[in-house]
Amino acid sequence: MIYQFYVERDSLLHSLDPRVKIIGTLIGITSLMLFNDPKVLIPLFLLILLSGRVLGRLGIGEQLRLLKPLLFIVLLTVAIWPLVYRPRLTGLLLGVSFSLRLLGFGLITFQLLMTTRQRELILGFVKLGLPYELGLTLTIALRYIPTLYAIANTIMDAQRSRGLELDRGNFLERIRKTVPILIPLIVAALKTAHELSIALESRAFGASKRRTFYRDIAMTKRDYLALGVLMVCFAFLLYLRFVLGIGNIVIYR
Amino acid sequence: MILVENLHFAYNGREVLRRVNLAFGEEILALVGPNGSGKTTLAKHFNGLLKPTRGRVLVDGLDTRRHTVAELSRKVGYVFQNPEHMFFEETVFKEVAFGPRNLGLSEEEIKERVRWALRAVNLEGFEERTPYSLSGGEKQRLAIACVLAMRPKYLILDEPTTGLDLRAERSVVETIKSLRESGHGILLITHDMDLVLELAERVVLLMEGEKAFDGPVDEFFKLNLDNYGLERPELLVLAEKLGVGFVRNFDELLRGVGR
Repeated sequence: MIYQFYVERDSLLHSLDPRVKIIGTLIGITSLMLFNDPKVLIPLFLLILLSGRVLGRLGIGEQLRLLKPLLFIVLLTVAIWPLVYRPRLTGLLLGVSFSLRLLGFGLITFQLLMTTRQRELILGFVKLGLPYELGLTLTIALRYIPTLYAIANTIMDAQRSRGLELDRGNFLERIRKTVPILIPLIVAALKTAHELSIALESRAFGASKRRTFYRDIAMTKRDYLALGVLMVCFAFLLYLRFVLGIGNIVIYR
Repeated sequence: MILVENLHFAYNGREVLRRVNLAFGEEILALVGPNGSGKTTLAKHFNGLLKPTRGRVLVDGLDTRRHTVAELSRKVGYVFQNPEHMFFEETVFKEVAFGPRNLGLSEEEIKERVRWALRAVNLEGFEERTPYSLSGGEKQRLAIACVLAMRPKYLILDEPTTGLDLRAERSVVETIKSLRESGHGILLITHDMDLVLELAERVVLLMEGEKAFDGPVDEFFKLNLDNYGLERPELLVLAEKLGVGFVRNFDELLRGVGR
């Protein structure tokens, strides 16, 4: 069972200031949205994967494993594009590259989470000007995805033990069969949230308007350098896309 | 009879169970061991929720690898640790009826089974209550009833008394005893050594995925439990000091002293 994404490593990405990494993530997501040409999207995805390996010392398999929950929607995309688009081969290529765009969004977000501790992430968001409550809410939400996933698995096991067959029946029957899973899951989520709010309040959350931090972060020369490199790369991609017009193809005629 | 033969189970490339051999029949078998020793992983093999990486598990001759959890649920009932993880119906009656309904029984048969199961756990008259409105002990017994209504021969109870107060714990213990008397085989996963002492006929101790002990309960308490991070029940410590020897409950201790 996974309870958090963060993996302890001694790498460049781990040691960078969280602000740089957050900006980098946003740049990465924007870049993926700029292009729709498979010739650019496919290398871009591989580049993101590779940079996680080289700069963050995250194993390729380790990174890809987290994308498993997206498998269904990826298969759907890859299957439907060649059906509705002609020529079919181009359709398949488009399906693959749009899937990779989606996977790229996931991958780059996971890379941020795998290389940044939760407290640093909040600190990064707050220092970027986000209200503390929002930063906290965001990280709590991320923090609880694996927990809820684990609870959902337990609930599924419990109901399967009562004879519920999740993989049998037609579409409507299958939807009906999610009720015994969803209701206990919602109850568990609400209870967890309620307990968490009590825990936060009992530790004087919101007692003072201006927060100070026990651990502070500061941008070093290296962080500015990394930020500079990111900006240059982004500017280069913008130049490619809007001045040279590379990476954008007409899909709908 | 549930037979576990040379069971190995690997998860994410890590072997969590190794060389486990076990036979489990009409008895109360306590499965004990420290956190992460593989107790729940082993128990999940008994009704096919997990399938062996190597070796096999036979439930009354059925190989769990070739049968679904739904099929095996007629023979093996699994009551999960947190009863709330299974409740989703508006009433206790509907909740208990869910399992039998999945077995495709007639309405009549379902009604009869629900009534019987609720009686077995002493929850008669609760039919129209909402499951979530019950107390801790009642919820635990309702969870047992939900599984019991499927009339399995074997019952797996995961930490059935954790978090319950004394009275609720007693009610669950009495339920377990009466189920044993009516011919069920019960696998009890627990950390509570008092519960093991009182209920278990046989104990299996798991350490880091391997069987470290398998034998009768009095033999088990002759082990130096400190080595396994387990605590010796106060009752046994007291009995030893009084020179009474092995006892399983307070009454036996009193009788021993009086002699």
